[in-house]
Amino acid sequence: MDPLATLKSMLLIRRFEAALDARPDRGFQLYSSGAEAVAVGVCAALRPGDQLLSSGRSIGPALARGIDPRLVMAELLGKATGPAGGKGGRGHLAKPDQGFFGAHAVVAGNLNIAAGAALAAQLDGRGRMVACIFGDGAAGAGALHETLNIAALWTLPLLLVCDNNGLSVSTPREAALAPARLSDLAAPFGVPAASLDGTDVEAVRDQAAEFAAQARAGGGPAFLECRSERFFSHSTATRETRSAAAMRGVLERCPIRRCAAKLQAAGQLDAAGLAGLEAEAEARVADALAFADASPYPDPAEALSDVV
Amino acid sequence: MSSEAGTIKLFFREAIARAVREEMAGDERVIVLGQDVGAFGGSYKEFLGLYDQFGAARVRDTPVAEAAMVGLGVGAAAAGYRPLVSITYMDFLMLGLDALVNYAAKARFKTGGQVTAPVVVKTTAGAKGQGVAHSQCLEAWLMGVPGLVVVAPSDAADAYGLMKSALRHDGPVVFVDHKRLFPTAGEVPLAETFGPIGQAAIRRPGEHATIATHGHMVRIAAQAAERLARDGVSCEIVDLRTLAPLDVATVAASAARTGALVTLEEGQLTCGVGAEVAFRVRESVGAVRVARVGALAAPISSNPVLEAAALPDAARVIDAVRRVLG
Repeated sequence: MDPLATLKSMLLIRRFEAALDARPDRGFQLYSSGAEAVAVGVCAALRPGDQLLSSGRSIGPALARGIDPRLVMAELLGKATGPAGGKGGRGHLAKPDQGFFGAHAVVAGNLNIAAGAALAAQLDGRGRMVACIFGDGAAGAGALHETLNIAALWTLPLLLVCDNNGLSVSTPREAALAPARLSDLAAPFGVPAASLDGTDVEAVRDQAAEFAAQARAGGGPAFLECRSERFFSHSTATRETRSAAAMRGVLERCPIRRCAAKLQAAGQLDAAGLAGLEAEAEARVADALAFADASPYPDPAEALSDVV
Repeated sequence: MSSEAGTIKLFFREAIARAVREEMAGDERVIVLGQDVGAFGGSYKEFLGLYDQFGAARVRDTPVAEAAMVGLGVGAAAAGYRPLVSITYMDFLMLGLDALVNYAAKARFKTGGQVTAPVVVKTTAGAKGQGVAHSQCLEAWLMGVPGLVVVAPSDAADAYGLMKSALRHDGPVVFVDHKRLFPTAGEVPLAETFGPIGQAAIRRPGEHATIATHGHMVRIAAQAAERLARDGVSCEIVDLRTLAPLDVATVAASAARTGALVTLEEGQLTCGVGAEVAFRVRESVGAVRVARVGALAAPISSNPVLEAAALPDAARVIDAVRRVLG
């Protein structure tokens, strides 16, 4: 993925979430703003046949994987034209035929599911791999230990990506997790690991690509910790607990500004070019909203379809 | 071996192995995951021979990590495989309920049909001297989870047929067997057959009272019915076979004929299988006298005296039948 494409992808996520958040009917949402580089960097390392799984914080991962923003918006607003007919909604976005196996809104709940999908990929023997993005909150759960152990034992083609935004709702990472670096959790299992700045999209992409190549070649799993930021509160239903001063520091670490500045410094982008990309993202989001608004809600009878 | 035309006598455990073997031979997407399922052949020898025939890639020993075992099976199922996950004791299924209940049972619904999770979780319930955390019958917990199918065979033929059907079902199935059933033997059709999911069976016709039960308790019901018959009391035994979806129609039709219903289960009575069966039968046929028989509301000790005291037996079933018959 070329540098401009990664910037475009991150801009789309940011604008998409801003537009969604402005909607009175947005419902309960978890946003990826501040962590765009994690999903975009990881997806830049994936191929079409690979699968991505995520936590319930899934707007970034879904859009970064290339799922049509129209479909994502429709699903999040509960419309029948969403990939799940509006039934999955926030936390359960999925489009497996396009490599987004899906989000799952149980913290740490997608880790061993991802390992199962990786087992399937391994048994298929076609060089496909699986990536799973989860929050630092999941790093305290036993599921991570179990998944690392089996993935290492069976050399599963699995990239575990910890999107570490430093907070589990309001609890700071320091109060919840003992390891100095979360990537240290992989060490006892002999699983290669890296810890890096998750606001640097190129760094995420390069490291993810290295780990993905290793997984495809039969080298087994890897663990990538990306230290990101959370620009919104935990969810639209959760009050912000950080001070205004702290938030100013958080917002300073903007992956989009960082990427754009680097491209501008390298002469690959100018102010007009950036404005053009922003306008393009804005237009795609407006189109997605128009599509969702024009779409119907599901028939109430859908409550009983696809159950068994 | 064949005692009547077209059947063969198999132990319950052999019937399971045969079903899995046939399905693995016919569909390479069928794999087995679990503790000691490989060369060891399963804790109850119910997977004997599969490892030798199909190899370590398809018959996989796992660490003792039920959450991961079920999660891996569910994930592989959602990715196109048909795993059987073996949980040696139903007590430990609790550790794997997240993937089973939150993911597998909802996968089809929450993705609008894009993903299904055809996983079979085979687990062994029941008390046989192993104490408070190795004896429980928790199948009633699972009956109220939309999206889950729960089967509980009582004999070798159903163990074979229901396992076959479970492995072909397009969603998650919990296959509940029982420690005391593995050493039992029964006639199994020689020809390939499939047990009907969602269909109860009348094991013994009778006129005066209906006993609705499942799994190992079908044998206890048969003992009770035999003794009652000597006194001229004729019991009809309905083997539920599938707990979700529940075949209320068969039980209700029987209870409507006999006018009396006794439910029998080894698990707890509170919010139990019998509570559900009895209430739905009453909703369906009205005035039927009902009684429930289950374990005492206490943990099941490994102490043989206390275990026997806690579990339903033929005498308690007989008492209940006499009670509903006034």
